[in-house]
Amino acid sequence: MTFRTRLLIAFAIAVVVAVAFVGAVVSTATRRAFERLDEQRVSALAAQFHQEFLRRQREIAERVKDIAEADSTRDMVIALSRPDADPSAYVDAAQPLAAAHNLDFLELISVTGSIVSSAQWPARFLYQEDWVTRGTDWNAREPFLKREDLPTDTALALVAVRLASVGDSKLYVVGGEALDRDFLSSFVLPDGMRALLFREPQSIAGASGPIPRTAPLAPLIDAVRKQRRELTRTVQWSADAVDAETFHAIPLIGPGNGPGKDPGAGDELMGAFLVGSSRGPQVRLERFMLRIEILVAAGGILLALLVAFWTTARITRPVEALAAGARAVAAGDWRTQVDVHSSGEIGALAAAFNQMTRDLLEQRDRLVQAERVAAWRELARRLAHELKNPLFPLQITVENLQRARAAHPEQFDEVFRESTATLLAELGKLRGIVGRFSDFAKMPQPQLETVDLNGLVRDSLKLFEAQMQAAGVALRLDLAADLRAIQADPGQLGRALQNLVLNAIDAMPAGGTLAMRTAPHEGGVRLEVSDTGQGLTQEECDRLFTPYYTTKTHGTGLGLAIVQSVISDHAGRIGVRSEPGKGTTFVIDLA
Amino acid sequence: MRGGQPDAGPLRALVFETLVRLDAAGAPQPCLAVSWQHDAAAKRWQFNLRPGVKFHDGSPLTAAVAATILAAALPGATVAAAGDSTVAIRANRPLADLPLDLAHNGWLETGPFRPTAFDPGHRATFTANADYWGGRPFLDAIDVQLGRGLRDQLADLELGKADVVEVDPIDLRRVQGGTGFSRSVWSSAAVRLIALAFQPDHPSDPRLREALALSIDRAPMHSVLLQKQGEPTAALLPQWLSGYAFAFPAALDLPRARALSNALPPAGRTLTLTYDPAMRAARSLAERVAVNAHDAGLAVQVSPQNPHADVRLLEVYLTSLDPAQALAGFAAALGLPTPSTGASLAALYESERKLLEGFHAIPLFQLPILYAASRVHVDAPPITRLGDWRFADVWLSGTAP
Repeated sequence: MTFRTRLLIAFAIAVVVAVAFVGAVVSTATRRAFERLDEQRVSALAAQFHQEFLRRQREIAERVKDIAEADSTRDMVIALSRPDADPSAYVDAAQPLAAAHNLDFLELISVTGSIVSSAQWPARFLYQEDWVTRGTDWNAREPFLKREDLPTDTALALVAVRLASVGDSKLYVVGGEALDRDFLSSFVLPDGMRALLFREPQSIAGASGPIPRTAPLAPLIDAVRKQRRELTRTVQWSADAVDAETFHAIPLIGPGNGPGKDPGAGDELMGAFLVGSSRGPQVRLERFMLRIEILVAAGGILLALLVAFWTTARITRPVEALAAGARAVAAGDWRTQVDVHSSGEIGALAAAFNQMTRDLLEQRDRLVQAERVAAWRELARRLAHELKNPLFPLQITVENLQRARAAHPEQFDEVFRESTATLLAELGKLRGIVGRFSDFAKMPQPQLETVDLNGLVRDSLKLFEAQMQAAGVALRLDLAADLRAIQADPGQLGRALQNLVLNAIDAMPAGGTLAMRTAPHEGGVRLEVSDTGQGLTQEECDRLFTPYYTTKTHGTGLGLAIVQSVISDHAGRIGVRSEPGKGTTFVIDLA
Repeated sequence: MRGGQPDAGPLRALVFETLVRLDAAGAPQPCLAVSWQHDAAAKRWQFNLRPGVKFHDGSPLTAAVAATILAAALPGATVAAAGDSTVAIRANRPLADLPLDLAHNGWLETGPFRPTAFDPGHRATFTANADYWGGRPFLDAIDVQLGRGLRDQLADLELGKADVVEVDPIDLRRVQGGTGFSRSVWSSAAVRLIALAFQPDHPSDPRLREALALSIDRAPMHSVLLQKQGEPTAALLPQWLSGYAFAFPAALDLPRARALSNALPPAGRTLTLTYDPAMRAARSLAERVAVNAHDAGLAVQVSPQNPHADVRLLEVYLTSLDPAQALAGFAAALGLPTPSTGASLAALYESERKLLEGFHAIPLFQLPILYAASRVHVDAPPITRLGDWRFADVWLSGTAP
């Protein structure tokens, strides 16, 4: 991945992250604003419920009080207090009273707790309502919530108890209104809001009747049951968030109807008033804003990317020029210079690069010159070393001839003959030395032809059979039968093999085993030449192919250099592995 | 027709008479027969006819005519004239209660009033029988409106459109508390059985039936809705007729009712109860039964005239003073099997017990027939134990007795 691509990606990521962050902040702030608005609407309706509840409490208390204080009720109290009282005479009294005072529920209960008349369930005459006899000071108590049993149902009622008394005679008047659809219909609801009434155990109805699905409200109802306080929850009616609704639940707590309950002491959850506010408009608005945000963000990102593309191009152009220059240097073109007109770090870097290539050129030139000097010095040292040995006998022999001519003329001929023979011999040595140097200097380009490497190995070994036998060297051949032919110069490659064989024989003066192996290798062929001599150190291995380096006392140090030169000219590789005391193996890979 | 077996009803006694009538205590008293005798085995009886009695067609009542009519009314007995004014009755078995039988069998058209017009279901008119053996009735005529509801009858009484109306116990307080003319209430013996009857073709769990029966608290209904008229009962036959009705427990047993109800599956704890809205107290009684059942854990839905209801609230009239015949009549009306007949009281009790042991029918109350009269003057309530009118001695205010 190019530096420009990386820079572009980094820039794009930075832009996207920044846009996403801004979008999230805007969305969150918008949603919170809507939620606050929604909470305010729900709170307003909850407050309306509390006010309506209080108003109804006052009205119910007033109506029930009116009934308790009516003359007809007082007559009833007097009649029922007589010894021969017949409560059955009043069994139908409650219904007209309830209708006249606009009450949904009305029961007239004797001082013993026996129902004299019931408007909501006339057939319950003479049933006991003991809870009313346990209460005290009913006239001072506020209306409370009560569950009213009806013939086919149970209603949640807001009831008041007032005592009708004449002297010592009493009659309990229990009247109230149902918290039902009419109650819910009395609320003024803005669009998107509704009021529901939950009644234990599981009835939930709105102003238009029972709602078809109650399961989504169950968690809220359970929470109200446990916590007995006003709670707000979001209810999901479907997978679509548009159908979600925020509900505020107001628990309706009353005394319950169980025996031993203290009427008026609210300790039993009888239901809950649920104020629902649809989240549909909010969600739709949020989605609209989100679409706008996405469009704006996409446009911004696109514009930012275009700017980034242009900017990164400007930023990376000098870097790309530097990279191209570096690649050229790596390819050997040390004369490369980058044309960068930039200020700052990139400009300094380009100047440093150009200075570096100039320095490299100068250093290379100096190094080449130094190497040349060193090579000439080495050559001179070698030549001096090689030529010094034959020159000394030549000097002695000439001096002997001079001395014999002067001192022993009679023996001069004899001395002359011996001396010339010696001179010729030493001159022959000098010619040999000069020939080897000449051969190394005159390595020609290989003339490639199809060559059977196994045959070349066998031919080379034949030249050294006698020498190997004399040196006590055994031969072990391991030549691959399926070895393919290679393109090589048989003369040069044969001479390289001969050098390696001779080198191996020289490494085993006390005898040993010479092993030669050929095998296919990576599409080409591999040849290994191993001896069992005393081996080489790692340092010797590292310098083994250096010209004029030798570990032998009589070598010129050119044999292995010639072998490496031949193999290199054949586009092959040569390597050596050796350990002291374990022999040496030369490995040649040819294509 | 000079005699036979007219339909039971309060008007029957205006036109027809029997040899014997029952007094207020149910004891046989002379009517068309002035006296009677029987042998020691009660297999042979002789009834001496009242002299000077004429049928409405003016023909005299003779032993021969009476024997012919009685023979048809007393199957299994041989009835023959023994002279002009004596009827002899013989049987192969003892007829110990023959006078009682003849108080509601063998009707002869010699009554104090003659039917002069009859529009079935609407109206009947009777005029005084000037030749009546007991003397001409004080009333010249009786105009009876038929098929009128009790509520309307009460309104007629209150508006002065009627002098005598049938009333329901639930309206008694209204009758007695009315203003204007003084009103009197006449009561028959308890001859109306109010009962719950499970539909024979509706299979129901016996535990459900028993739970319903044990959940019913009859006392409040009796004291409030029925104004303490009649008596709560768990028997079919009234106590005054059988003498053993008290042996059928009518007490509330709510714990057992709840236990039985709880043993039922929830879906099996529901019932529908229907009633005839023409029966004034039926709705209140049915709803009270539903309240009682609710206490036992049963859900009873009340609806009027529902032919598919599981249970019906019925009123059944006593049709015979013979306990066995009366029991059979109740059983038939309630959809119960025909009871086995037996001569002894123990057999009768056993038959009734078997009829009721499955709770297919649940007797609630034995009620009298009540009449309210305005402007009517009479020395004693002019109705029989079965509620038949005996208006021969009745006169109205403003008319000379």
